[in-house]
Amino acid sequence: MEPQLSWYLALSALLFTIGVVGVIIKRNVIAMFMCIELMLNAVNLTFVAFASFFQDVTGQLFVFIVMTVAAAEAAVGLGIIIAIFRNRESLDVDDASILKL
Amino acid sequence: MLVILFIIFGGLAIGCALNVVAQRNPLYCAISLIGVFLSLACLYLMLAAPFIAAVQIIVYAGAIMVLVVFVIMLLNVEEEEKRKIRMGYLVPAAVVLAAALIGEVFFVLWSVSPNPTLPASDIGLTSSIGSALFTTYLLPFEITSILLLMAIVGAMTLARRTESLPPGARVVPGAQVLALSDVDLSASHEVQTAIETDSTAEAGRLLGIVDHSKEDRD
Repeated sequence: MEPQLSWYLALSALLFTIGVVGVIIKRNVIAMFMCIELMLNAVNLTFVAFASFFQDVTGQLFVFIVMTVAAAEAAVGLGIIIAIFRNRESLDVDDASILKL
Repeated sequence: MLVILFIIFGGLAIGCALNVVAQRNPLYCAISLIGVFLSLACLYLMLAAPFIAAVQIIVYAGAIMVLVVFVIMLLNVEEEEKRKIRMGYLVPAAVVLAAALIGEVFFVLWSVSPNPTLPASDIGLTSSIGSALFTTYLLPFEITSILLLMAIVGAMTLARRTESLPPGARVVPGAQVLALSDVDLSASHEVQTAIETDSTAEAGRLLGIVDHSKEDRD
């Protein structure tokens, strides 16, 4: 018996749900950022599973571009986190409820 | 055999993901997240995508997580303290919605017809990905490079420190008016270069004058 497409989709849905729960319940900005990375990876798993089961390379190209976007997001997001920490001395999202730095 | 590997790596991914959410120390979160990335890379190998698996390890587990761990260490993040749960009356609704979601997942798992496994092909190899990336999908590739350039500029703009003054600098408040009694003229006669500021408050802070308006606001 081989792993079916639906198994990968269920695993991806579980990982995405865990990521959503993390974004909702976490209060630390960096922990929320890592949960967003987890959600991106869950979607990547869906892309690769579909690409493999439908024998189409397009899904893997999408994963490649999603990874690039994630790298750009990491650079800009961590820059924003450093700017917030420098101005507020805290990484709690409840302390940064207004956008003014 | 593949089923056993799927169970091992899928279980590892879910366990590490739960640990990411459960941990209070951000550094332990980051290390658990690396575990998720590595097990997902193994799943990509099982799905005949070796190039994506290698990029996953190099870019995610390598570059991005090193950046995250570096920021955690740089900012000296302390653990989150426990707080009282607000809106506890929403817990039953959350349980009902989670049960509905799990039902949907099992619906996908059991009711979708199993598809036949196709013979292995070369779609995951570097050459096929490269030829598709540089012919059919050349425009997204170029747009991605512009996105990365914008990310570099944005990150440098955000992380630039504007508050430290070079030695011998002189602060000029520009069009803003500063009361003469607030300026210590004797302290600034030996400086040479001029620094322009955007507001009176910033100029006052650079000159070492206490910002009375901010104290009143706090």
